[in-house]
This record gives sequence, C-alpha cells and structure tokens, in this order.
Amino acid sequence: MRHRTFYLALALIFCAWVLLPIFLLTILAFTERQAIFAWPKGLLPEAFSLETLRFFFGVQGVWRALRNSVVVALLTVVFALALGAPAGYALARYRFAGKDAYRVMILITRAFPLMILAVPLAVRFIDLGLYDTPWAVALVHTALALPFAALITSSIFLGIPRELEEAAWTLGCTRLQAFVKLVLPLALPGLVATAIFAFVISWNEVFAATILTLRERTLTAYLLTVLPDSPLPFRFAGGFFLIVPALAFIFAIRRYLFTLWGIANR
Amino acid sequence: MAEIRVEGIDKSFGTVQALDDVALVVDDQEFVVLLGPSGCGKTTLLRIIAGLEVASSGTVLIGGRDVSHLPPRSRRISMVFQNYAVFPHLTVFENVAFGLRMQKVPRERIAPRVAGAAELMHIESLLHRYPSQLSGGQRQRVAVARALAVEPEVLLMDEPLSNLDALLRLEMRAELKRLLQGTGTTTLYVTHDQVEAMSLADRIAVMREGRIVQYDVPLTVYGHPADTFVGGFIGNPPMNFLRLIVDGPAGGRVAHVGELALRAPDGDHDALVLGLRPEDLEVLVAAEPDAFSAEVQVVEPLGPHLLLTLEAATQPLKVTAPPDLVLRPGDAVWLRPFPKRLRWMDPNTGAAIVASATP
Repeated sequence: MRHRTFYLALALIFCAWVLLPIFLLTILAFTERQAIFAWPKGLLPEAFSLETLRFFFGVQGVWRALRNSVVVALLTVVFALALGAPAGYALARYRFAGKDAYRVMILITRAFPLMILAVPLAVRFIDLGLYDTPWAVALVHTALALPFAALITSSIFLGIPRELEEAAWTLGCTRLQAFVKLVLPLALPGLVATAIFAFVISWNEVFAATILTLRERTLTAYLLTVLPDSPLPFRFAGGFFLIVPALAFIFAIRRYLFTLWGIANR
Repeated sequence: MAEIRVEGIDKSFGTVQALDDVALVVDDQEFVVLLGPSGCGKTTLLRIIAGLEVASSGTVLIGGRDVSHLPPRSRRISMVFQNYAVFPHLTVFENVAFGLRMQKVPRERIAPRVAGAAELMHIESLLHRYPSQLSGGQRQRVAVARALAVEPEVLLMDEPLSNLDALLRLEMRAELKRLLQGTGTTTLYVTHDQVEAMSLADRIAVMREGRIVQYDVPLTVYGHPADTFVGGFIGNPPMNFLRLIVDGPAGGRVAHVGELALRAPDGDHDALVLGLRPEDLEVLVAAEPDAFSAEVQVVEPLGPHLLLTLEAATQPLKVTAPPDLVLRPGDAVWLRPFPKRLRWMDPNTGAAIVASATP
C-alpha cells in the first residue's frame, strides 16, 4: 500500500512536469495581456480573450512562416512515405543479401549529426538554387523522417500476413493489384500514423530550418529568431502554436503508436 | 477440370535441397493428398504448382498447358491456405466474390454464383458479416467457398483443417469429401495428418526429405508400405518392425521370432525386418503351434480395443487385442501373425521386399 502511494505520487509529479507548462501556455495564450503579469494566477483564465492571438497573427511574417511550416511538413510527409514505404515493404517481404545490415544502416543515418551536414548542405543548396525555399528544408526533414518511415512501415507490412497477398494472387490479382486491394487498405491506419509522425518531426525541427532559410522561415525558425526580442504575450502565443499541432497529432494517432509497438490498447 | 503433371522438380533454398527430382501426376477429377512430416517439402511442392514459389528446375503442366513460368493468376487454380487467408476488411460476400470480380464476371452474375458457393459451404447466413465476427471453422468455410466460387480447374489445399479443433476437423473432413466428390474438381491436398490422408484421398503421395517415396491408393499405402518410413508414418500406432535372423537353404529361407519360424523370402540376407501392423496379430492366452510368446508390459484400454505394449524376442511390439481380454503387466501371451499380412523389408535400406506379398 505504501508503495502504491509512492508510485502514485511519482506519477503525479511526472504528469505535472509535462502538463503544467502546456497548461500555463494554453491559458496565457487565451487571456488578456494584463492577466499575463497577474500574480498569483488562478487555475482558470479570468477572462477568455483572443487578444493575444490576434496580436500574434498581426505581427508581420507570422502567417508566412506558418504557411511555410505547413508546406515543408506536407512535402516531408509525401517524400518520407513515397521513399520510406517501399523500403519498408521490401524489408518486410523480401529476402535479400545484407538485409540486416541495411536495417541497421537506416538507423545509423540518425547518428550522423545534422550540424555537420547543415553547412555543406546550405552551400550545395545555394548552388542548386534551392536555398531559402521550402524544398530545401523539406529535403533535410525527409532525411530525418525517412529512417522512421522505413522501419515503422516495415513493421506495419510485417503485420499483414503474406498469405493474404498470395491468396489474392491465386484469385487473379497482379502483384500491384494485390497491394492496392489488400495491403493498402489494411496498412492505411499505420501509414497515416507514419505520415503524422513525419509531419510532427518536420514541424518541430528548428536547426536545419534556421540554417537553410533566410526569408522563407518555417514557424519554428521564425520564432527562434524573433522570440528574444518579443513581448511576453507573443512568446506565449508562439509557444502555444508550436506545441498544439504536435500534441493534437500524437493524441490522434496514440492508438496506432501503441499497437505499433505491441502495447495492448484496451 | 484438368490433370496436374509435375516433372523433374528441384528446389533448393540456399544449401538446403527442399525438393529432389519430384515427379507427380494427378489425374483429372482426382483427389490426391501429399502426406509427410513437417519439412518434407510437401508445402513447397504445392506452392510451386500454385506459382507462389519458383522451382529451381522442372516443369509444371496443368491441363496439358506448361504453366511453369506463369504467375499464379494465369494458372486457373485456386488455393485454400492453412490460416484461411480470408480478407479481413471485406465482408464474407465480398471475399467469396473477390475472384469473380477479378475475372470481370458481369455484375448480375456475381450474386448468384456467390450464393451458390455459400450454399455449398453452408454460410448463406454469414454473407454480410466481417471475418472478425466469424469462428475459425466459419472462416475456413469462407476460404473454401471463395476458392470454389471461381470454378477453378485445380484446387490446391495447404493443411486447410490443421487450425481447427478436433471435432470440427472431423466434421469439415466429411464435408470436404462430400463436396469435392460432387464438384469433381481436381484437388491436391497437403497434410501431415495420416488419418486425414486416408479418409480423403483417391491416392496418397507420401513424401520424405524432398522425394515422393510412395504414391498409391490409401489401402495399398497402408497395407503395403514401400518402406519402413511409410509403414512407421502411416497408422496409429505405427507399424511394428521386428529385426529377425534368417537362415536355411535357398528356396527354404526361414526367419525366427522367438520359438516361431516364419517362411522368409529368398535372398542372401542374414537378417530381415518384419513389418507388422498392431492388428495383424491374433493375441492368444495359451501356447499354440504357429504363435510366438511375448510378455505384457503395458495395457491401455482404449474402448473399442486394448492396446498392448509387449516385448517379444527382446524387441518392443504394440498390438491391439479384443477389449474383453483380461491382462496384466507381466502376463505371458502368444501372438499368431496373419500369414497374408507379413511385410518383409531390407534391414539396411528399409525398402519393402516385394516378392513376399504372396508367400
């Protein structure tokens, strides 16, 4: 019983650790400017107000950065899935020489520090005329998201019995038809989860986005450069906008994440 | 309707030789069972015929057409898988209709054909359910209905009953037999269950280590096994093998089981293996002239008969006896083999010595 109380307290502390800043951020993003400086704070906002948010979106460059972030994230999703899902399918279905080594190599790409890559990449992108475009950032973000996309989709495809495809072949399907009629619908929830995962990786990434852009900032890169010189309400609104999509997405896909990693979701 | 003709099939996975020069002919409308222990290559052979594996060499002909290099969809086969492989995101109706839709059967003709296949398998009431709402037995019915709906020339079945519980398996076995006798579809059926093989097959092909060791009608495979492997694999309990000393002049060779001398086939063997099924012996409680003695070690009353584990001439032996016989471990019994059921085998190769079929 004493252990139970202890663990419960520990769990509460961890929850508060994560949730309290998010809570404060949300509250303060939706109150009037004066309330931000009020002390002590009530648990609930005294007056709900969109004033802070209106001010946030009124600042020049915010809309553009937001649009860039969305474009970059969507491009990342498309690239990561278009390249990662076939790799995942191959890993799941085919025997080939060096398969295990290949699997490890995919992960090792993540061990390569982005800092070392960023400067040469910036130079190369200037040469190619890609510098300061969403494409450049999306390409780097794809490199970050691709290993996860390949490995996660491979486990999704592994979860779909091979016999289903084989049965479809014997019933008149070509390989492509069997994939479209069977594997795709069955893998769809998992593929959506992978897409959202790639989206969040891109949305939250700040380092490459800062180095590879100048005017076409993503939201994270933009906020990082302007935050030190911004008034408090602006910081809260910005912080809120960085956190919310990631949280919403993770909430939406939590079921798939759990089943993906073998935790029962009952 | 078509015959299956398989010639010179080799298949290796890396260094493992899964199939070694396999030849097999399944006649039109015949039901053939591929039987063997796990790892003998029976499923690989079936998958090569289906086109799901590619043979290292050899040809597969279905209905006289060389299909060796055709994909599964062009072979006019259909297949039932061990784990059913029912499509989980489609209703039972759509599962059964799947092959018909792929064949571009006109829309108005699909429903009656699905209904026909469903009726054969007694799943009419399940057509609008999803597979997750079905039991294992029902899923297997759906899988068979789906395979039959396309009216294939050849039906291939890969251990279709092995995931069902014992009672259900018995029921489905009888039903499959009734069904396939009715449709007359050429069927190749893989199993490791010798009872299933005996009950279903027109002919059984017994496989071992990538080769077909015997291919014949069930009663011949049972009564005249080609070697000790087949005799030991088929039958429950398996055939007994007694190693006997042989002597005597040519034309009068005699094998000795304890006090009994049996007329042995001619040849220059010093020893022979005698294959005896548990029911090939009469159990006697008193000494008689043409019987040999044995000591009872275990008595298992199974209901229809007693299963006795005996020791005769220092060799173990399993024999069935009438259920009303009263025996205890340690008792002495006498065993009289039925002369027409003696099977002689070569002690070194295990191969049956054929001449002995008529002593």
